[in-house]
Amino acid sequence: MSFLVAAALGVGLFVAIPIAAHLLRRGRARERDFPPTALVPAARSVARERATLEDRVLLAIRALLIACLAVIGATPFVQCSRLSLSRSAGASVAFALVVDDSHSMRAQADDGSVRFERALRAARELLASAREGDAIAIVLAGRPARLALAATTDLNAARRALAELTESDRSTDLEGAVGLARTSIASVPHLDKRVVLLSDLAGAALTQSQPALWAPVPELARPLENCAIFAAEQRGRRIAAHVACTSPAAAAGRAISVVGDKTNKPLALAARAGIQELGLELDPKLERPELELNGGDALKADDRCPLAAESAALGVMVAADASNASVETGGPPVLEQALSALESNAALHPVALLPDDSNEYRNNALLLFDDPGGITPEARSALNGFVEQGGVAVAFLGPRVDQTPLGATLEPFVHGAVHWEAKPTGDVDEASLAWLGPEANSVHDLKLSGRAGLSTSDLLGARILATFTDGQPFLTERELGRGALFTVALPTSVEHGNFPLRPAFLALLDHFLHEARRRRGATQSVAGSEWSFPNGASITIEGPRGALVAHERAQGSGAALKSVIPTVAGRYTLRVDDKPEERVVTVDPSEITTLPQKLPDSATQARANAAAGSVDASPELGFVALALLALELGVRAYRRFMRERSSRAVTAH
Amino acid sequence: MTAPAPALRRALDWGKLAPLRLRAKTVADGVYAGGHRSRRRGAGIEFGGQRSYVPGDDLRFIDRHALLRHGTLLVRQFETETDRTLCLLVDASLSMSYRSEQAPGPKYAYAALMAAALCKIAVAAGDRVSLDWFGGERTVELATAGGREAFERVVGALETAQPSADLKSDLAALERAVARVERRAGRGSTVIVLSDLLDLPEGAEVALGSLGARGKTLTVARVLDPAEVSFPFTGPLHLRALEGEARVETDAAAARPEYLAALEAQASRWSTRLLSRGGSLVRLDSSEDPVKAVRKLLDSVGGLA
Repeated sequence: MSFLVAAALGVGLFVAIPIAAHLLRRGRARERDFPPTALVPAARSVARERATLEDRVLLAIRALLIACLAVIGATPFVQCSRLSLSRSAGASVAFALVVDDSHSMRAQADDGSVRFERALRAARELLASAREGDAIAIVLAGRPARLALAATTDLNAARRALAELTESDRSTDLEGAVGLARTSIASVPHLDKRVVLLSDLAGAALTQSQPALWAPVPELARPLENCAIFAAEQRGRRIAAHVACTSPAAAAGRAISVVGDKTNKPLALAARAGIQELGLELDPKLERPELELNGGDALKADDRCPLAAESAALGVMVAADASNASVETGGPPVLEQALSALESNAALHPVALLPDDSNEYRNNALLLFDDPGGITPEARSALNGFVEQGGVAVAFLGPRVDQTPLGATLEPFVHGAVHWEAKPTGDVDEASLAWLGPEANSVHDLKLSGRAGLSTSDLLGARILATFTDGQPFLTERELGRGALFTVALPTSVEHGNFPLRPAFLALLDHFLHEARRRRGATQSVAGSEWSFPNGASITIEGPRGALVAHERAQGSGAALKSVIPTVAGRYTLRVDDKPEERVVTVDPSEITTLPQKLPDSATQARANAAAGSVDASPELGFVALALLALELGVRAYRRFMRERSSRAVTAH
Repeated sequence: MTAPAPALRRALDWGKLAPLRLRAKTVADGVYAGGHRSRRRGAGIEFGGQRSYVPGDDLRFIDRHALLRHGTLLVRQFETETDRTLCLLVDASLSMSYRSEQAPGPKYAYAALMAAALCKIAVAAGDRVSLDWFGGERTVELATAGGREAFERVVGALETAQPSADLKSDLAALERAVARVERRAGRGSTVIVLSDLLDLPEGAEVALGSLGARGKTLTVARVLDPAEVSFPFTGPLHLRALEGEARVETDAAAARPEYLAALEAQASRWSTRLLSRGGSLVRLDSSEDPVKAVRKLLDSVGGLA
């Protein structure tokens, strides 16, 4: 603080003058001689109290006025707590605002405000300090990370985009959002680029690169105490409730109960952090039951969760021969072990044969069929019905394709003869599987003993998603109705290669689960997951925040789908072609259990990248001073008016 | 003593009422410059009219001509030229030094002006004047005297006196003053008391009322400051009496009606008490025109025919 600033602020000490004058004036009674005092009655009147009150008002106004003048004198040296951008040599700045709209941002901050609102306020403050020529991009960090506004110099467009942002119960994709933010401002010509994180930083660890990260509101990332019911599913007469807590302290003393159930006592949570599953009795008389956590925490919205129907978990039907598809050490088939490893919360239903009746597919969204030896017409018909209604069927073709009995085919996966090529072949082409992610790198040196030759068969219009190194199809996808049919040219048995033991296999299974959720629409899904419907279907959706509208979306194959993304947890009522359906959207438990990461100090300091600067508050303070002056004049005029009225009354008397 | 003491000049601001001598003459000239006649009728020189005979009347005054001419018993009346003594009793207690912003001068100055003007009128009519005090400092009692010299002495005494003394609890001082006046005033005398009637001791009404006995005419002039009459204050007040220990913290607007009512009640009480003793109360406001004020006093004592 320079001498000038200190001197200017020193003017504020003159506040003592009106205070002293007030005290002196108050201490000096208006005593006067008056001979007939004995005839005057004593009275402490409203007038005196009013005068005292008016005196105090005037005192406050004058003191504030002096304080304002002092601060005006000190600005622009005085820094304000408001966020602002400073710029080196006055150059324009390009910055990407990463606004976290995930569920954890709905928690209350220490000052009682909602974190998301605090983040929006910070964004508005930063926008207010932007000038013409600055480029702004807005990225949302709720999963999936989205670009709300591409880099633009239109500040009004940025303000409009900010105004449209709403909080949600999505999970966090901070890493993706930061990557998107960096990409969004990579191409702008500005030299000074910044990525502004307005997030609670609960997510995957962020890497420091250019443009550097700046988290100007560190209070958003303060740890909080919270417990949430992130899923509740009916299982017969019981309820399986899944609760996540940030810490043992958050769970201590809390209990879960069914709302309106007076027969069963609340069930206490274990005082530990992380996820815990609790079982409760369900009173069958209750309609549309909901579970509730007692007590309070930083986020009340997730203390209540609707109970999903019994088939809420994603049903996965696994048709695998345990004798062929198991490992030598025993245990369930490889497919079932892999699904368990994914922790997908899927309900596995192992079957020996494909059902002949489509009703048996009910409560299932995914069929994993290992090494099929042909599909009978009845089973084919049922399978077609299942897929057309949004199911996903995957066939892992193995040696039994050569043993197809008479009357059985591999339709609807492939048409025509498929032969097992029992000779050493090349590996799966890593490049063709790149869409799977980093796990695609694990498909080299698979030591395959054979593969299903799909090149000789009719793929029925299926799209080839991946190939072997010699160009033969490895993975195909065929759309059928709302669902899809995937064909993999390798079985899940480890006897025919190492593919089931590679990370790519798990990634592929995860992809199938994701497709199943997306197409079938599990009755219980995480907020932010997409629900897809046939393009021609008539759809109405009523959610906790009103109706949702399904929008048409083109697929990669060229076909169109209707899709909608519910972003708020709660119960949704759907009508798909007049068939009623009920779904429950829940919170991703990682939103509760993931703790905020710690960024380097340079990223959280207010002056990181010289991004916070001095703010000239003179205009605002000037207006405040003028308002105070007007107020004083008003009070004085009022007092004068009252005095004159009183004098007129005396004269009239 | 014709000139006021310099110290008194400093002590008492006479305001617009100074100089007293000239002002008193002006007032007296404005009121009445001739002699006045007694309202007493009876044995005398100048015929004063007739009235019907009532048993007990002196038979010497029966109008024989009227009896012979009209056959009616009438009694002849005569007016008597009297040299009536004017006894002035002036209140010089501390409360008389009060002067508000609206007043031309202190109440004492106004009372002194009234006294001097009355003295001038009386002297001009050939009447004798005496001056007595209650309260005050440097007060000089003047025995009954007439002529121009008497006027000068009265004015000098009025100018010399300085309001002071707290009579609130000193009834004896008041009674002593009343006794002096009673000694000077014979039957037919006019006693005029000039006072604000404020902060007087208990029993003051009785003591002053006794001045109306034994054929004397008593008029009490209550001299108040305009502020005391109208209570023009606003806002919160902290008032202090000049005599006694009375202090009051009040609000003007709230206290005004009760104060005015109390003041009126006090005046009524005095008026009633004086009437019972044959006296009268004249209310004067120190902002009032002195000429009119003196006329009111003369009307009250019957000095103007």
